[in-house]
Amino acid sequence: MDIIDIKGLVKNYPLGETTVHALRGVDLTIQEGEFMSIVGPSGSGKTTLLNIIGCIDFATEGSVKVHETEITALTDREVTDLRLHKIGFIFQTFNLIPVLDVIENVEFPLLLMKNQSKGEIRKRADKLIDEVGLSEYAEHRPAELSGGQRQRVAIARALVTNPDIVLADEPTANLDSVTGAQILELMKKMNEIEKTTFIFSTHDEHVLKYAQKIVKIKDGRIER
Amino acid sequence: MKFLLTISLRNLLRQKRRNIFLGSAMAFGVMILITANSFSHGVSDIMFNKLIVYMTGHVGITFNEGTGRRIPIFRDKERILKVIQNNIKKDEIADVDEAIGMFCRAIGNGKADNVVVVGIDMSKQVSEELEKEYMESFNVVEGSYDDLARDDIENPVLLSRQKAESLNVKRNDVIRIRFQNVYGQDMAARAVVVGLMANDNLFMQGVLFVELKNIKKMMGYRPQECGNIQIILKNPVRDAVKTADRLHEALNPGPAFIAGTVRGAAKAGVTILPFMADNDSKRIMRESFKLASGRLDDVLAKDGVMIGRRLAGLIGAYPGSKISISFKPRFADKDASFTCKVNGIFTGPPDEEEKLIYMHESLFYKYFYSNLPDIIKDKDKAYIPPDDSPFSKALGTEWVLLDRTATTDDATKKEAQIAKKKIKAMTMDVNTMYETASDVLKLEGVLNLVTLIAVLILFFIIVLGVINTLRMSIRERTREIGTIRAIGMQKRDVRSIFILETVSLTFFASICGVVLAFIVMELLSLIKFNVVDNPMGILLLNQRLHFLPTISGIIFNILFIILIAAATAYFPSRRAAAMSAADALRHYE
Repeated sequence: MDIIDIKGLVKNYPLGETTVHALRGVDLTIQEGEFMSIVGPSGSGKTTLLNIIGCIDFATEGSVKVHETEITALTDREVTDLRLHKIGFIFQTFNLIPVLDVIENVEFPLLLMKNQSKGEIRKRADKLIDEVGLSEYAEHRPAELSGGQRQRVAIARALVTNPDIVLADEPTANLDSVTGAQILELMKKMNEIEKTTFIFSTHDEHVLKYAQKIVKIKDGRIER
Repeated sequence: MKFLLTISLRNLLRQKRRNIFLGSAMAFGVMILITANSFSHGVSDIMFNKLIVYMTGHVGITFNEGTGRRIPIFRDKERILKVIQNNIKKDEIADVDEAIGMFCRAIGNGKADNVVVVGIDMSKQVSEELEKEYMESFNVVEGSYDDLARDDIENPVLLSRQKAESLNVKRNDVIRIRFQNVYGQDMAARAVVVGLMANDNLFMQGVLFVELKNIKKMMGYRPQECGNIQIILKNPVRDAVKTADRLHEALNPGPAFIAGTVRGAAKAGVTILPFMADNDSKRIMRESFKLASGRLDDVLAKDGVMIGRRLAGLIGAYPGSKISISFKPRFADKDASFTCKVNGIFTGPPDEEEKLIYMHESLFYKYFYSNLPDIIKDKDKAYIPPDDSPFSKALGTEWVLLDRTATTDDATKKEAQIAKKKIKAMTMDVNTMYETASDVLKLEGVLNLVTLIAVLILFFIIVLGVINTLRMSIRERTREIGTIRAIGMQKRDVRSIFILETVSLTFFASICGVVLAFIVMELLSLIKFNVVDNPMGILLLNQRLHFLPTISGIIFNILFIILIAAATAYFPSRRAAAMSAADALRHYE
């Protein structure tokens, strides 16, 4: 079943007096439960494509359907709710909330959902932290963790709401190769445990071996 | 909400130095605001409860009898006290005093000075709290306040140390005072100094205090008479005006009359009515009166009366003849009587012809006030023409009640107009401290202005500080905003985080400001100012600054400051919340 269905996606950015054509007509479908990689050099449009799939940026032209919902027709409140309930994010620079400790960072999306008890939230967060192997760091603040540990927290946070899709924008770019490999192993494992669709972008050819499906992008177009 | 508050509070601690600076500025502003407000309240307290209480009362009823020399006297004390009792609720009123004072020339030991002698009612039972307040205000340092009530000393008197110095007298010395009594007679009396006050209240420094009954006796008041009335209210600011309005309504005068017996060739029961001598009243009389005998100009003269034709026939009176009138005064066992000349004989309805005597107001009020008839008791036997009678508008009333005024300027204008009218009846005025002590109250306005400036300074500290801090904070945390928006936080929650940060900082700074303000007030209260003969001394209480912080005032100030801070934080917070998540995530410092 298609979880993402993109047709004729164009994204242009105004930059001073010129326009940057980030995506020039992308057609893409992604199946549920896939572990997919978007590959391309810097400036090829990987992050823009991920942002649009993740509903944090909007298409200039074209259609983007997530779970058959046309996201271009949604209000900001609806799109925010969609992100909260259906999509998890993993960022290149981890983007943890510095004033919250590990467990609070993981609990954060569940608290925003406001539909579970404190006990349920804590139980779910503990489970995810355990799965990413950080139980003993649960009460540490992000500044007290290594890069790899922070990215594990980010993975736990992305998965805690049991989303349909996890989007990871160059998740290993700020990590050494060993840690990067561990993170990808972990993502792969989580994909298998949680049955969540993973889409990650990379420009590193070495990480492609982990992907089930690879989509190459260059100059804003998918290369077939 | 708790979760948003947790994030906000932790974010506050992230930028400790910056927030401590802003918080300190806020706390300083709050300190100034609370201190200025408490000082302003303190001065108000001194003015309303310690100065005006002694000067004019919060509400006053003043009386003026006589045309040339105005005498502050009301002839039926019981009646006026009853009106007060019936029209002011018990829980609103703190005290009712007779305000009797006189300007005198005082001669001490080889030195003389002008003084004001003021009466204090020592017989009155006062609450312990009020007595303590009196003791603080008088601050008797030599002798005893209670000695004022002693009967074995001739006119015991209490005076300030400054006045004692100017008269060269000390305790137990005799002061001779010269004054005019209420009847305009020059009088002299001896007074014995029983106590000296160390008083920082400029308005009390020139005053000689004596027992009320002694001053009333010296001035010639009879037991049933009283001087001006001062009413002290528990909540003057709230109640003064409405109390005065209520009393004013209740003091509307009834018609003035003397119900007595006229004697000529025979005797008959009559009602004597005063006609007023102002131009409008005279015109009414000229137009409405029908004379059977005598000339109209004679009729309107001050030296006689006009009687009805039937009455004239009954007692054998004619123009130029003398008649004797007697009546029963309210406060005397014996009948009062006087003789007057008949100036004219009028015709009219039978009752009026038989029962009425019209008298010029100058003559009438002389007899009326000196031997006050029992108006209420005599009402049934008196004959009062109906209101639609042609000259009822020209007839005098028991007294003339002056219109209410709101300010000193209005009251002054009113006085000038009344003086021009040359009213012969007693005038009665119901006033409040806003008319009688507005100059003192203006001080409060000045202090409120100082407070307002403090508020404005605080306002700018908050506005500039909050905007600047939030701008920096939002700039530094742009990627964080992008992250939480991407994860799924709604715009309003992002906005709330920043507003809560500002509100929390303001709240804690305000608490610190309040604590600081109390420390500053305590320290300032320790300083003793020596301001003898300086008008600014009235701002002091026992030579020290008087601060009166109120819980409601402090809460209001804190809420006000928080409201300003929240309103200031709203717009930068809204801008932060409205940022595109993608743009925010792309942001690099």
